[in-house]
Amino acid sequence: MIGVGTSKLVLSNWKFKFSSMLGYDTESWGYSYRGEIQHNGLVCRYGSYFTIGSLVGVHLDMWTGTLQYYLNRRPLGIAFKSLKNYDLYPMVSSTAAQSSMRITCCLSQEPTLQAECLKTLQQLGAPHVFSFNYMLNKGLDDAVADIKPVEFEIPNGDRICLRVEDVSINCPLVPLGVIGVRDQRIFPTECRQRAGTYAGKLNAKISWSVNGDARNYLEKDMGDIPIMIKSDRCHLSGLSPKELVAHNEHEQEWGGYFIIKGHERLIRMLLMTRRNYPIAIKRSGWKGRGALFSDVGIQIRCVKIDQTSLSNTLHFVTDGTAKLMFVHSKLLYYIPVLMVLKSLCNHTDQHIFKKLTIGFEHDSYYIDCIQNMMRDLHREGLHTHEQCKQYLGKMFRVKFYECPQWRTDAEIADYIFKHCILIHLDNLEDKFNMLAFMTQKLFTFAQDQCKTEGADAVMMQELLLGGHLYLQVIKERLYVWLNSLRFNILKLAKTSIGFSVNQKEMTTAAKYSGRLEIVLEKFLATGNLHSPSGLGLMQDSGLTIVAENINRMRYMSHFRAVHRGSFFQEMRTTEARQLLPDAWGFICPVHTPDGTPCGLLNHLTMNCIVTDIPSEDKLQNILITMSDLGMIPITNTESVTSFKNYYVTQLDGKVVGYVEHKLAQKLVNNLRALKIKNQIPNTLEIVLVPVKKTPGQYPGLFLFTGPARMMRPLYNLRYRDIEFVGTFEQVYLDICVAQNEIYKDVTTHMEISKGSFLSNLALLIPMPDCNQSPRNMYQCQMGKQTMGTPCHSWDIQAETKLYRLQTPNTPLFRPVHYDNIELDDFPMGTNAIVAVISYTGYDMEDAMIINKSSYERGFCHGSIYKAEFIELDDANSYFCRDPSRPDLIDSLEPDGFPYVGKLIKVDDPLYCFYSADESKYVVKKFKGKEDCFINNVRKCATFHFKMKPLACITYRVPRNPTVGDKFASRAGQKGICSQKWPMEDLPFTETGLVPDIVFNPHGFPSRMTIAMMIEIMAGKSAALHGLVHDASPFKFDEENTAIDYFGRLLEAGGYNYYGTETMYSGIDGREMNAQIFFGIVYYQRLRHMVSDKWQVRSTGPTDILTRQPVGGRKRGGGVRFGEMERDSLISHGTSFLLQDRLLHCSDRTTAQMCTSCGTLLGPITLVTRIADKPNYSETKEVCRLCQNGDNIVEIQIPYIFKYFVTQLASVNINIKINCKQT
Amino acid sequence: MSDPSTKDSTTTKTPMVYICGECHSENEIRPRDPIRCRECGYRIMYKKRTKRLIVFDAR
Repeated sequence: MIGVGTSKLVLSNWKFKFSSMLGYDTESWGYSYRGEIQHNGLVCRYGSYFTIGSLVGVHLDMWTGTLQYYLNRRPLGIAFKSLKNYDLYPMVSSTAAQSSMRITCCLSQEPTLQAECLKTLQQLGAPHVFSFNYMLNKGLDDAVADIKPVEFEIPNGDRICLRVEDVSINCPLVPLGVIGVRDQRIFPTECRQRAGTYAGKLNAKISWSVNGDARNYLEKDMGDIPIMIKSDRCHLSGLSPKELVAHNEHEQEWGGYFIIKGHERLIRMLLMTRRNYPIAIKRSGWKGRGALFSDVGIQIRCVKIDQTSLSNTLHFVTDGTAKLMFVHSKLLYYIPVLMVLKSLCNHTDQHIFKKLTIGFEHDSYYIDCIQNMMRDLHREGLHTHEQCKQYLGKMFRVKFYECPQWRTDAEIADYIFKHCILIHLDNLEDKFNMLAFMTQKLFTFAQDQCKTEGADAVMMQELLLGGHLYLQVIKERLYVWLNSLRFNILKLAKTSIGFSVNQKEMTTAAKYSGRLEIVLEKFLATGNLHSPSGLGLMQDSGLTIVAENINRMRYMSHFRAVHRGSFFQEMRTTEARQLLPDAWGFICPVHTPDGTPCGLLNHLTMNCIVTDIPSEDKLQNILITMSDLGMIPITNTESVTSFKNYYVTQLDGKVVGYVEHKLAQKLVNNLRALKIKNQIPNTLEIVLVPVKKTPGQYPGLFLFTGPARMMRPLYNLRYRDIEFVGTFEQVYLDICVAQNEIYKDVTTHMEISKGSFLSNLALLIPMPDCNQSPRNMYQCQMGKQTMGTPCHSWDIQAETKLYRLQTPNTPLFRPVHYDNIELDDFPMGTNAIVAVISYTGYDMEDAMIINKSSYERGFCHGSIYKAEFIELDDANSYFCRDPSRPDLIDSLEPDGFPYVGKLIKVDDPLYCFYSADESKYVVKKFKGKEDCFINNVRKCATFHFKMKPLACITYRVPRNPTVGDKFASRAGQKGICSQKWPMEDLPFTETGLVPDIVFNPHGFPSRMTIAMMIEIMAGKSAALHGLVHDASPFKFDEENTAIDYFGRLLEAGGYNYYGTETMYSGIDGREMNAQIFFGIVYYQRLRHMVSDKWQVRSTGPTDILTRQPVGGRKRGGGVRFGEMERDSLISHGTSFLLQDRLLHCSDRTTAQMCTSCGTLLGPITLVTRIADKPNYSETKEVCRLCQNGDNIVEIQIPYIFKYFVTQLASVNINIKINCKQT
Repeated sequence: MSDPSTKDSTTTKTPMVYICGECHSENEIRPRDPIRCRECGYRIMYKKRTKRLIVFDAR
C-alpha cells in the first residue's frame, strides 16, 4: 500500500499481523495494489490494480487538502479530501514477502501564484493533448478493432482475410544503429532548430488467414508519424517547468501542436453537430433529395466509441412516410424506415406498431401514417423479418463491393446496420428503439408540434478535437493500406502460376504497399485530407493551421480558436455566423475577426473546458443510480400505463428508459448532487427538456457523457459547489450573474465571475465595458499583431520571421487576467506619455506624432529575426570558402559562412560551397532588401545516410520606428506615426514633461473609447503613486465611476481631477489657453511597418501573356491603377496623365493596321527572296483581307487590345476600326 | 568524383570551432566532416561568434 499518514500512527501495533496497514485507522490514508483506497478502516474502489513494474505517484495538495494518486503517470482522480490540518509523511506498507518499492522521484513545491498561473496556461493545450492521449492509450485499440477486415479470393481459390491486429506508436528516438549518441531521446527543440518533423515510429501487426485458419503475423514498420508535443509519446510530457527550460522550452509550454518541418502546426478545433442526439432540422435543400421529399427531417450524427462519425437523417416524405438516409463512400442512400425497423429485429408487426405509437395513442394522423407504411411493405411482398433483410442485402450488394461475393444477402444487411446505420449503438435492439424515437420525433416535428432545433446553435454543437481527427486519419489510412496489400497480393498472384500465400509472399507484398509516414505528415503540413469516406467532415482542406508566434496573444488565441468549417465561409447566408444567445459563456462575443471569417472563427471563453472521456466505472454508475432514482428501464416497461406522462430518457443516444413527469425534476436534482460529488462523471450533461403548453423543443431527458463537448463551471446555488454545465444543459437552467439577481426557488446557478463570458484576449482589454463594442473587437485583432516578446529562446530560433520589441514595459493599468496568465513574462508594449492635443497638423486622420528624442532614446525600438535554411543540391557538396578567391576572406570564414555578428548588405557574399554537381565553388549572395546582422549560423544533420548538407542562417533586422509605422493603444485606437517631432518643439507641462506621443483629440468623439481616456487618468495616477491599477471589466458602475476614482487619486497627487494640465507651446513658449488631457497609455507597436510594404516601380517585369506590368512587391511589380483611379483621372480631364499610366507605362505596342478594311488582323509581312543569299530579301506589308498594301499604317495601341481582337477572331467576330488621318 | 585540387589542402583542412547545441562543448569541424558532436552525438552545431573587431558606424 502506498499513502500518507501522521506521526501518531503506532507502528508497533502491526508487528505480528498481516494487514493492510495504511488507512486502517484515522491516522493514515492508503492505496492498495488491489486498486482500493482505505481510510479509517473503510475500503472503497478507486483505481485499477498495480503490480510489479507499476509506477505509482502520490500527489498531496496541502493547499486544497486533497490527495490524488497516479498510476503509470495517469491521474486517477481525487482519492481523499480534507487533509488540510495534518502533518503528513509518505508511507508504504506491504504484506507480501520480498516485495520492494523504489522511490524514483520525490519533491515538494510551495504553492505559488506562478504555479497556479501555469495551470491556467496548461488549459490552453489541454483539449488537444488529452484527445491525442486518448488516441494513444485507448483510441488506437478501439479503432484497430473496428477496422473492417479485407477479404478476397486469390486465383487458386484460397480465401484470404487480412486484419490489422495491433498498432503502436513510439516516442521519437534516435534510430537503432546510430552510434555515439548519448541521449537516445529526440526533443522537440531539435526538430525546431533543424526544420525537422517531430515523429515517432508507428508499428502495425497484420494478421492473415487462409480459408479461415489463422497464419502467422506480419510486423510492419509504417514509418515515423508526427507526435503531438506534450502528449504521452512526447519526451516533454510530465516534465517540471525547470526541466522544460533545460530542454530549451518555455516553462509554460502547454503543447498540443505538431512540429512539421520545423513549423508548429495545430489541428483546428471545428464546431460539429452534437453527437448522438437526433436534431429536428428544416433544410430547403432536402426537398431536392427525391420525389415528394419535404424540408423536414431528423438528423443524427452518430459517433462510435473510437470517434468514427457518420450521419443519418430521417426524412419526412409528404405522402406521410419516412425514409432513412445513410452515407456510404460519400454517396447517399434512402430506405423506408419501416423496412429498416423490420429488418433490424425480428418483431411482430403488432410489436413494432406498439413501439412506434407509444404515447401517441391520440395522434390519428401519425397512427394512420404508420399503418400505411406497414401496408406498403406487405404490398411489396415483404412480410417477414427475413424477407426484409434479404431484400435489403440484395439491393445494396452491388454498392458494398468491399464485402466478398460469398457473403449472403442477410450478412450484407447486417454489415449495413453495423457500419452505416446508427453506428454509435452496437446492439440492434438499441438501434431499433432509437429509430422508433426518431420516427416519433419526426412526425411530431412534421405536424409542427415541436420546434426546429437547427445545427447552427451552439446548443447543438460540440468540437472536433485534433487527436480524434488524427485517429480517424490513421484508421482510414490503415484500411487503405490493407487494401493496397490486397492489390499487391493479387498482383503477385497474377505473375506466378500456382500461387499460394505464405509468409514470404506476404512480406514482399507488404514491402510494396508503402507506409503511413508521408501521408500523415502531408496531412498535417497542408491541412488537406484525401479520404475515400470523408470522415464525416464537411471539408477536406484547411484542417490544420500554423500556430504563428507573432506574440504571446496570437499564439495563445490559436489554441482556443474554434472554426465553424470552411464550408460556411463560401455560403451566402449569414445564419452560421450569427451569435446566438445559447453561446453565452462558451464562445466569446468579442473575439472574432471582421471580414470573411467573421462569426465563423470564434474563440472559446476563458472558463470553457472541453470534456475528456470519463472513467469507465463512473459511467456504469449512471444507469444504476438512474434506476434507483425512479427511472423505469426500457427492458421493464410493463408497469407503465400511459406513456404520455413519461419523458423518454436517453444516455449518449441510447434510449435507456422512461421517467415520469412528476418525478423528473427531483431526479435531475439528485443526479446533479451526485455529479457535483463526482460519483458519476462531473462532465455529465443533464438536459431535461420539459413539456410545455406551447410547442417547444421535443421533450425528454437527455444525458451526455461523451468527449469533445464544451462545458463551463457555474456555481450551483443549491449544493453550494462548482458544477460543470454543458451548452445544451445551460438553455434549461436559470442562471444569474450576480447575487442580487437571484429569484428564490427559481435561480439554480450563478456565474463565477462577471467576465466569464470573455475569451483570453478580450479579458486583456483594459475596461472593455467602457468601450464601444467594435473597438473591443479591433483590439482583439490588433493585440494579435503587436510586436512583443514571442519567446525567450532567441538564439536557437529558426522561425521564418519573429518580431521583437527591444524594451517592453509592463502596463500600469491592466486587468487581473494579465497577471493570471503571467503575461509579464511576454510583454508587448510600452508605457508612453500621451498628450491629447491637436498641435502640428501632422496628426490628423488617426496619425500620431512621436517625440524624436524619445525615439532616439530607444522608444518602441524593435527588430525582426529572420531565418533561412540552406540545403545544398547534392549530398557530396559541402560548405567551404573558395580557396582561390582571396577577396572572400573579408566576408566569409574558411567554412564558407559569414562571420557571426557581421553587418550584411545586399549583394554581399552570403555563403560559399563546393558543388559536387558542377565541380566548382559557388558563391551565393545576400538578396535581402535591407541591411541586417548575422545573428547566428548553424549546421544541421539528420540520421539519413546520404543527406544533403543543411545549414540555417538567422538574421537580425533592426527596426527603429519610422514614419509610416503603425501603433495602437489597447482600445482599438490605431494610428500611423506621421512625423518624428523634435522634443524642443513639442509642448511641455509645468513640470517640464514632454509627451512621447501626441494623440489627436478627434480620435475620441466618433470612436467613444472611454476606456482609453480612463487609462490616461489611471496610468498617470499609477505612475504618481507607484501603483498598478486593476482594469478588469465590471469593477465600476454608474454610482461609483472609474473617472471619479482615478480623478480623486490624481487630485491627491496634486494634479487636476480630470487629468488635464496647463501646457506651454514648444515653438514660442507661450502658455496655451486650453487645458491639455495628459497621461500615460500603454502603446503597442504593430508589426505592419513601411519597410515591409513600400513599393516602387518605373519599369520592370511584365506579364508574358498580356505584356502589362505584373503586380506584387516581391517581384518588383507595380501598384494597380484601377477603375476608380481611372475614373478619377477622366473626371479631372487629365488625359495625358491617363495616357501615360494606361498606355505608355503599361503595354504600349506598335501594330500594323489596314485602314481600308479597318482591321488589325489583316496586315502581314511578305518576305520575298531577291537572290539565293541569306538575309538578302525584301519585305513588304500586305493586308491579307484586301490583298492591298497601300493603306497599311502603324498605330500605337495597348497590346491587350490586339490580344482581344485576336481572341474575338477565334469566335468569328471581326473588329472593324474606323480611323481618320489627321 | 572530381574533388577540388588537393594542392590547396590548407584551406580545406582548416577546422572551424563549432559549439554543440546540446552539451555546449566546442568541436572542431572541417568542411567535409559529418555534423555530429564528438561529446554527445548531437546533430546541431552553432558557429562561434567572430573574434574579429566588428565596428559599426555609431552616429
